[in-house]
Amino acid sequence: MPLFSRSKSEPKAQTSSDGGPRRLRKTGVVAAAAAVVIGLSACGGGAAPQSADGVVELRFSWWGGDKRAQLTQEAIAAFEAENPKIKIKPEYGDWSGYWDKLATQVAANDAPDIIQMDEKFLTEYSSRGALLDLSKYDVDTSKLDKAALDAGKSEDGLTGIAAGINAATILANPAVFEAAGVPLPDDATWTWEDFERIAAEVTEKSPAGTYGAAAYGTDEASLGVWLRQNGKSLYTSDGKLGFEPKDIAEWWAFLKQMSENKAVPSASEVIEAEAAPLDQSGLATGKNGMAFWWSNQAPALEKASGGDLKILRFPTKTGSSADAQLWYKASQFWSASSRTKHPEEVAKFINFLANDVKAGEALLADRGVYPNSEVRAAIESKLTPADVKVVKFISEIEDELGEAPALPPKGAGAIQEIVKRYTSEVLFERLSTDEAGKKARDEMAAAIGS
Amino acid sequence: MSAMSELSSLTRRKGRVTAEEKKANGRDNKAAYIFLLPWLVGLVAITIGPMLMSLYLSFTDYNLLQPPEWTGLDNFARMLTDARLHNSLGVTFTYVFIGVPVQLAVALLIALVLDKGLRGLPFYRSVFYLPSLLGGSVAVAILWKQIFGTTGLVNQVLAMFGVQGPGWISDPSTALGSIILLHVWTFGAPMIIFLAGLRQIPVMYYEAAKVDGATTLQQFWRITLPMLSPIIFFNLVLQIIGSFQSFTQAFIVSGGNGGPSDSTMFFTLYLYQKGFGQFDMGYASAMAWVLLVIIGVFTAINFIASKYWVFYDD
Repeated sequence: MPLFSRSKSEPKAQTSSDGGPRRLRKTGVVAAAAAVVIGLSACGGGAAPQSADGVVELRFSWWGGDKRAQLTQEAIAAFEAENPKIKIKPEYGDWSGYWDKLATQVAANDAPDIIQMDEKFLTEYSSRGALLDLSKYDVDTSKLDKAALDAGKSEDGLTGIAAGINAATILANPAVFEAAGVPLPDDATWTWEDFERIAAEVTEKSPAGTYGAAAYGTDEASLGVWLRQNGKSLYTSDGKLGFEPKDIAEWWAFLKQMSENKAVPSASEVIEAEAAPLDQSGLATGKNGMAFWWSNQAPALEKASGGDLKILRFPTKTGSSADAQLWYKASQFWSASSRTKHPEEVAKFINFLANDVKAGEALLADRGVYPNSEVRAAIESKLTPADVKVVKFISEIEDELGEAPALPPKGAGAIQEIVKRYTSEVLFERLSTDEAGKKARDEMAAAIGS
Repeated sequence: MSAMSELSSLTRRKGRVTAEEKKANGRDNKAAYIFLLPWLVGLVAITIGPMLMSLYLSFTDYNLLQPPEWTGLDNFARMLTDARLHNSLGVTFTYVFIGVPVQLAVALLIALVLDKGLRGLPFYRSVFYLPSLLGGSVAVAILWKQIFGTTGLVNQVLAMFGVQGPGWISDPSTALGSIILLHVWTFGAPMIIFLAGLRQIPVMYYEAAKVDGATTLQQFWRITLPMLSPIIFFNLVLQIIGSFQSFTQAFIVSGGNGGPSDSTMFFTLYLYQKGFGQFDMGYASAMAWVLLVIIGVFTAINFIASKYWVFYDD
């Protein structure tokens, strides 16, 4: 302001002889001031958002589709109604872009206060001090499922509160089986050979382009199940790989065999299916009889397919579902940025999400079965038929579960991409399964630094 | 800049530069710099600053979450043994050295046809230019995916002739070719420049050649090409620099992973994956500087080679 008023208060200084340059200089000063102001305002984005009336604004980011956004907004509204001094600002997007964005935000010291976290990245972030140890704040964990709670604990403290419980499943589309005239498998007794035979039969009796099953090999979940059934594991508790090259080579050899028998799609079709979002997946569009999904995705897939879906246990080597070696996975976690300016308020919100019935009534089973047993019981009557199916499946397999798997170590976020890449190397016959097993394992070991 | 020099040359023409005039000149310059300031701030804060930062980061181990740690030339040493990086260089070079010449040839061909004075030229010019505007966009890359899918348009047409086409973009042996084709398709920008260049060639040369009995082909080789060589050179430099940096098409068509089997893993895409996917920003920064050097070397080669084939009329 002084700059402007000064130039106005000295009009007499502009004599005709030197008026030109003088005016120029003054305009220049104004321009410079404007430039500085622009520069300053551009730098001003990082300040803590706290207004004078004591209202705290927290940023909350998650990945997921429209349905999840809608349910989560309802939970936020319920929280804000109870806590008028806290405002929650949602930021959400697709899974694929979510992690790039989060990494950039954290690096720029601009992380959201509340972060929906995945098990693959939990150690990555917590071991680097980016996540808040929630055990130091007022979050009640007494009612939470113990296995789910432990999944968020590490030497860096309690950096994630499980938002839901999940299990790896095979979802079957009965309409496809019916059209092919093939009965649905009995998931209590089926083996991997049955899986292949049934899938191949469905393919044979279906129109061209429809397959009995989608291929596995596009993420590490089905690999985890396979390894566990063979007495191995994806990771060990000391953060190393729990399998040998030949174990993963066998997994690919079976996939290749299934692809040759047309139990699963051809190499090109597998690659294309990989990129499709959930509602355009082979299962949702009726192009696959069976596919590998997490249990909490069943309702969304059912909605996309427009029909009924059946949740199946994984096949086993022995033909007994007691050997399926499934486990309860924390579908995702509530985490908080370690640099949040308002840890108390953040803890309050996370406590609300995890333990309050009102949050449960909004979120239902979209993020998996509620880990809080009281909330789970209280919202039972509100669940949709699809949700009920998931909850029922989760409780049915409880006695068959294997030991809880070791948490993914730092660098585990890169594993899925490696699995995918070598799956295509194998299916396109650019590498033998043995070579792929060796190379993939080497690359995975390098990724997790062991 | 040119306005500034014009101003000062005006003063000079009047005679000896007096001390007062010199002072006025200095003031003029100062004013100019002050007007430049907003742009200068942008240049420093948005371009030079981050560049210097990335130069520093390229000598560090930086995982985005913790402060960078100085590791000297470690990142560059790692590149020597990174097989995926070598593959990504191969993919990028293939893309540049096939895509750019083919695209320029197509652009020149279409420009020659349009230059013949077609009726409705502005319309055709716009139609051919359109892909250039759209080609880098996400929407077109997605469309490309549909057209070249296993059950896409191309294979449906092939099926009419009883040919079972491959999954063009999902098969490692054809995926890169599909992306190169997408690049070639965006020939509009160089085409417009060629068209402008063709209009600059004086008609008298052709008239003289015709009198001497030169065929159309001879006219093209002896007149059009040499006269157009500065324009070809200009397009070549621009396209090579641009193609080395291309990212969007491969990112969208491959779903961000450079697949299948790394067959479309461009250098830039691998850089992005390293930096943002695997928290290896130090390495990614080092890669960016390697790319800068590669582009610099090829641009220099281009300029040196131009002495032997580019013909300037004046």
